[in-house]
Amino acid sequence: MRTKNRWVNVLFLFPAVFAFLMVIVVPFFVGIYLSMTNWDGVNPNVIFTGLQNYTTIFQAPEFLYSFLATTAFTAINVALVNAVAFGLALLVTSRVRGRNVYRAAFFVPNLIGGIVLGYIWQFIFNNVLPAMGRSLGLGFLQTSLIAKANLVVLGISLVNTWQYAGYIMMIYVAGIQAIPASLMEAAETDGANYPTRLVRILMPMMASAFTICLFLTLVNSFKQFDVNVSLTNGGPATIFMMKAINSSEFLALNIYNTAFARSKLAQGQAKAVLFFVVLVVVSLIQVWVNKRKEVEM
Amino acid sequence: MQRSWHRVRPALMEALAILIFALFMVPFFLVVLNAAKVSVDIIDNPVSWPKAWGQLFTNIGLILQNSNINYWPSFFSSAIITVCSLAVIVVFSAMAAWVLVRNRAWWSNVIFMMFVAAMVIPFQVVMFPLVTWFRQIEVVTGIRLLRQYLGMIFAYLGFGSSMSVFIFHGFIKGVPLELEEASTIDGCSRPATFFRIVFPILQPVIVTVLILNGIWVWNDYLLPLMILGSGNMAGAVRTLPLAVQSFVGSYVKQWDLILTATLMAMLPIIVLYLFAQKYIIKGMVEGSIK
Amino acid sequence: MMKGVFSLRKLFCILLALALVLTSTAALAEGIVLSSNKVEIDGALKEYATAYEAQTGKKVTIDTVGGGADYGGTLKAALQSGAMPDIFVIEGPSGYELWKDYITDLSDQPWASDTDVAYQVDGKVVGFPVAIEGYGLAYNADLLAKAGIDPASLTNINAIKDAFAKLDSQKAELGIDAVVSLAASVTNGMTWVTGLHNFNVYLTGYLPYGDTSVIDQVLAGQLDAARFQAYAEYVKLLFDYSDQAVLLTGNYDSQVHAFATGKTVFFHQGNWTDPNLAAENVSFNIGYAPHAFLPEDTQSIFVSPPSWYVVNSQGANIDEAKAFLTAMATTEEGHKYIVEGAGMVPAFKAVKQQPTGPLSKAVMEHAASGDIYSWQQYKLPDGFGMNTLGPIYELLANGTVDIAGFTALFTDAIATIPTL
Repeated sequence: MRTKNRWVNVLFLFPAVFAFLMVIVVPFFVGIYLSMTNWDGVNPNVIFTGLQNYTTIFQAPEFLYSFLATTAFTAINVALVNAVAFGLALLVTSRVRGRNVYRAAFFVPNLIGGIVLGYIWQFIFNNVLPAMGRSLGLGFLQTSLIAKANLVVLGISLVNTWQYAGYIMMIYVAGIQAIPASLMEAAETDGANYPTRLVRILMPMMASAFTICLFLTLVNSFKQFDVNVSLTNGGPATIFMMKAINSSEFLALNIYNTAFARSKLAQGQAKAVLFFVVLVVVSLIQVWVNKRKEVEM
Repeated sequence: MQRSWHRVRPALMEALAILIFALFMVPFFLVVLNAAKVSVDIIDNPVSWPKAWGQLFTNIGLILQNSNINYWPSFFSSAIITVCSLAVIVVFSAMAAWVLVRNRAWWSNVIFMMFVAAMVIPFQVVMFPLVTWFRQIEVVTGIRLLRQYLGMIFAYLGFGSSMSVFIFHGFIKGVPLELEEASTIDGCSRPATFFRIVFPILQPVIVTVLILNGIWVWNDYLLPLMILGSGNMAGAVRTLPLAVQSFVGSYVKQWDLILTATLMAMLPIIVLYLFAQKYIIKGMVEGSIK
Repeated sequence: MMKGVFSLRKLFCILLALALVLTSTAALAEGIVLSSNKVEIDGALKEYATAYEAQTGKKVTIDTVGGGADYGGTLKAALQSGAMPDIFVIEGPSGYELWKDYITDLSDQPWASDTDVAYQVDGKVVGFPVAIEGYGLAYNADLLAKAGIDPASLTNINAIKDAFAKLDSQKAELGIDAVVSLAASVTNGMTWVTGLHNFNVYLTGYLPYGDTSVIDQVLAGQLDAARFQAYAEYVKLLFDYSDQAVLLTGNYDSQVHAFATGKTVFFHQGNWTDPNLAAENVSFNIGYAPHAFLPEDTQSIFVSPPSWYVVNSQGANIDEAKAFLTAMATTEEGHKYIVEGAGMVPAFKAVKQQPTGPLSKAVMEHAASGDIYSWQQYKLPDGFGMNTLGPIYELLANGTVDIAGFTALFTDAIATIPTL
């Protein structure tokens, strides 16, 4: 019986674990090796070069900038997506008429791929809004938000919020619905006004929902690629450390461009490995902070 | 004062709700509006009403005939890849998760932690080596993975398994062991117990896994680009996002056809959402909390 | 227990269907495969391939990579997947260097002596010119006539400056928004116009055809200060007189549209825009003025093949691939495809057909009279023109830097130019 069980275990685990090993684990280690070579994707003679690719990357202002821009985007985006999503969650759990329709509608953008969505919004930013600005005589609409180096990050963040807030909202909704209604009602009877109830009762009761949402948006923002590529393609240009570079080329796009547009496959791979390290650190910090908060409460 | 506020507030809330709703829907409206125009009219004025809605069908016809997009073959390739990937992800992840939950041992912890830890790995780290590695597999074993359904679905199983195992794991922990014990006493083998007793119970969480992975697989761009390549050769496997990008990304930007193409790329999933909306929302909510 | 959506029977049906799909591997293309990077001729090329198959019985599969995907990356992926095409495209030395182990010597092909612009390495012909393309400062002859400017006089920087100023002062009478239609936005991917085509004005303008002195200097990390100053002033002039909406946020379509609807007099594009202009029902007369950035007179525009077909020397169909290219260059059907089907300017002397597009005609005329400068921008390292230089042009366009700042950024970028 025991040996038979063991065979069932192996058989049941095999497909998922095997695919996982072949598709993620092995390429992951192959990738770490290739990042320390002169690999170009064509020449079969790959030479080991040690940490040379890494030192080259660290000297490139464009990578440093990309890192800073991604960090700025992540900070703005996490705040914006969560604030909007939480607001939407409050709206669709209130007594407002048609709340179920709204809940379903807010989720729709999340069904659409980032590539497709980026082109739609590029059209809106560059064609629709300026046209509206012209016909309404509003000057600030006439220059595209994504054509300005200091505003483009906000533009991408707005699009990401539109896409992602509906999904995050769903998690907050579930968090709100898990709170016993009697609790809020009791507080209302005690004379606590709405903001007080929100901050004192609702939000603390939802700590785990906040953990999940912050984690999801953080990782999602940091990995941003599809919308980045189709909405701004890294542009517009800006100056950083005396070099002209692309102001919205986030890390994932920078890695892709390094490997393909600039034909430096091994260097792109080295950037990807660093990207991974940063993601691990960020995720660990995030989990640690949230666990501590939950314990305190 | 207090009294009138109570009457005004619901009205205000409703106005706000409608406003936000409109903001969320406007982009879709603009797509449809401009997909019914010719390019010149769009550049002239992107917010004007179309001269004739018939143009929408003309544009759809042009997209369907476009040899670069190859809409129907791309659509079916996408559908085959999505359906098959979902089937293997659901069945194999559930099987693995069940074994991991029901065997409390060092190895089950290690495997589970490995799946969880892998969720942090960004696709960029593995995407370049993955292609090289798949090629190596072909050289050694003769099994073709690149540019094939097989490789595509296998890759989705690998990438989809870590989150799916995690979700199933969380759910199965809550399934009482008594049910399975009863069936074992009745003489069911372990695999039979899983497929007859456990798997049907998983239905709500299966919906979650299907939806989370389905949206991702249907819309995914980079992984198909790596595995399938970006050419438009007749007879090759090619997904809808690849087709749209190869059409839209070219230097010539015809917004009329681009917007029609985006409309046709998102329509299938929106139609599905309209029909299965209840499941999708329920699945998302339950999935994210687990 | 067996109720619900996921009954065992359904599950087995799904798994059975799955097994069928997995075992039915997609058929690999039979015959020869030509990998192309020109989406605009995809339809015509496929038609020609079908006709070729009907005539010769040899199957040719056309695999076009869209502009959104990176062609070099796609080729690498094709190589890795074991599906390297029989005919593929190189765009210059970086492509040649990368793929030289896969490139066949084509010197003995009958078309090799029929063209001046085949891709040659050490005296050997290795690349089949896809077509000839040319660009300059296209003008709307009707608007120029209305403003009383003779296009034949636009041969040096002073004449161009005067013409721009005169046109700008008559905007209302002429019904134009701006003088020039030019797009420089990184977001819209227009840096191929600035970072490659416009930069080539500096690289080859006023030099004999095929002169590599300036590009060699650039590849060695050097700029000619006086020449660059004149060039930078010319770029600034173009930007200042450009439609600012098109310049900063416009894409290819809006650039074409501004010129095609008579909203600008000049247009910084090549003869590949002919079909786009035709689609907008352009009726005015069109010609090419030179990018004359120096006080000396010139009439030349920039003409070259944009890319070359090469034959995969490690493929299984070398002879069939050679035969296909030879047919394209030497048969009546091939010529018809190049000129009428794809609407391109042929690179072969034997071709009798004349292109009908106004810009293509102008390119043909310039090529015939020898008023041409070469393209050397394709010798820049991969991505350098579009990714490194392109943003610098955008900064000048949106006013972030002035000519001095532009020159400083440029000098620095060229000084750190990567090696091939």
